[in-house]
Amino acid sequence: MTRRVVVTGIGVVAPGAATTEAFWNNCMAGVAPVSPIPAHWNSFAAFSSTIWAPLPELDYAAHDISRVERMQLDPSSLLALIAARQALHNANISPTLVNEKKNALALNGVDPNRCAVLCGTGIGGLTSLIFNQSNHIVSPLAGSLAEMEARLVADTDRGALLPFIKNARSGIRMPQRFNPFIVSMTMPNAVSANIGIKYSLCGPNTTVCCACAAGTVAIGHAFRTIRANLADFALCGGAEYLGDEFGGIFRGFDTAHTLVNAGTDPATANRPFDARRSGFLFAEGGAAMLTVEELSHALSRGATPIAEITGFAETFDGYNIMIMDPSARHMRRMLGTLLDSARTSFSEIDYVNAHGTGTTLNDDIEARVIGDCFGNKPLVNSTKSLIGHTIGAGGAIEAAVTALSISRKATHACKNLDDPIADLNFVRRSGEFQISKALTQSFAFGGHNAGLVLEEFYNRA
Amino acid sequence: MELLDADAVIMDRMTKIIREVLKPGSEPLTLDKKFKEDLGADSLDVVSLLMALEDEFKTQISDEEAATFTTVGAVFSYIKGRTGLTAS
Repeated sequence: MTRRVVVTGIGVVAPGAATTEAFWNNCMAGVAPVSPIPAHWNSFAAFSSTIWAPLPELDYAAHDISRVERMQLDPSSLLALIAARQALHNANISPTLVNEKKNALALNGVDPNRCAVLCGTGIGGLTSLIFNQSNHIVSPLAGSLAEMEARLVADTDRGALLPFIKNARSGIRMPQRFNPFIVSMTMPNAVSANIGIKYSLCGPNTTVCCACAAGTVAIGHAFRTIRANLADFALCGGAEYLGDEFGGIFRGFDTAHTLVNAGTDPATANRPFDARRSGFLFAEGGAAMLTVEELSHALSRGATPIAEITGFAETFDGYNIMIMDPSARHMRRMLGTLLDSARTSFSEIDYVNAHGTGTTLNDDIEARVIGDCFGNKPLVNSTKSLIGHTIGAGGAIEAAVTALSISRKATHACKNLDDPIADLNFVRRSGEFQISKALTQSFAFGGHNAGLVLEEFYNRA
Repeated sequence: MELLDADAVIMDRMTKIIREVLKPGSEPLTLDKKFKEDLGADSLDVVSLLMALEDEFKTQISDEEAATFTTVGAVFSYIKGRTGLTAS
């Protein structure tokens, strides 16, 4: 008999929202956090894109994250921990403190050996490495400049040079210390490992690293792990932090001409599936974690399923590291396999949470494939139209939106969509909709295609 | 040992950090206490303590200085000897 897998808890941290409810309320109200990029980034390069979607101020202590954890974990792991804590709370699981020094907890009512952790990320702890490398690289130069300044102070003949040296020194941005934990901060598997350590979970623990599809694939692999009876419970999702001190990661995407042009109205520049779209809105970061469980495990501890995961599929383009295969044949194959996996058909899908980045080529191809496969029946929206692109967290945040859209019988609009590029049933106003069967899909640099089918939960037992 | 008022301020801030990082329970943090032998710290705990002290006192502790931090008293002497570190 096939083991059924249900979502019982959701935790989200996203641009503009520190909690799941704040995030959902923003989505439904069409609140999209868009700001100019940090001003000091402009001293490093002249960027084409000048806006991003920043995270809110986060109160780590309120999420039981200690000073030591803040100093030793990359922000991607901290975001994952905040999302995981919310998901567990939402799933009615109250952790117990088991090691005060480590600030480590254990989950009541679940066997830790049967708990998996699968978290996706695009770049892991790269921002911590970048900042600490600045200490490694710049320290000798900073020392020389300090010495030069000291000599110029005493040198009346060449004192005119002093302001230039002072200016150069003031522009140096580096941590005072090269963090001794930088290896464990940088390694991509840290996002999953830190969740496993925090909650003393000892089942399969893997980080999925496939760029913008990572969150979707992580949830899909958790689904498969539980279905295959390798675990009964999983914390799964995605986490990403992209706001390095110097805007270097932003520059990478900007140089590749993938980012949105702020234009004359930055607030409406991010417009997936619109004829005037120009690229994606770079998000500072985000995370979404779901608790997913085998159905009888969930019901036996009194949990209320939010939605059921019934299918997952992934394919690979084998085409180009940064460009989607225009033929989309492996995207279509992914969708076909996905619907077979969920034992359903295109005509039964009520809602598609699209990848919807807002880049010219991707939206064209995705809209064409949705139209070809689904016609214009299912609702289609892009969560990235609200919060921008959180890369490895994106698929997980969108899976959270999909589950919430099913359970709350409502979903958000596709923001800034004035002139749709295809005759699809785009959500033009947020509100109530009957959504029983939904699909969320992600496509990634590298050539990854992945999707999940989520359904309204019915207890057929 | 009776501490002067200024010393007591340093001691309060320092012991707060030591308790936060090492969680030594109700163990009194007297100056003679050794981090590893008496307070159960391992080598990573000592590094964590060092980073937390740097954060709290807004200073940079060199590896050579850190190597001498084996007791509560050694840390106390270090902080006391650094001008300006007592200002919060």
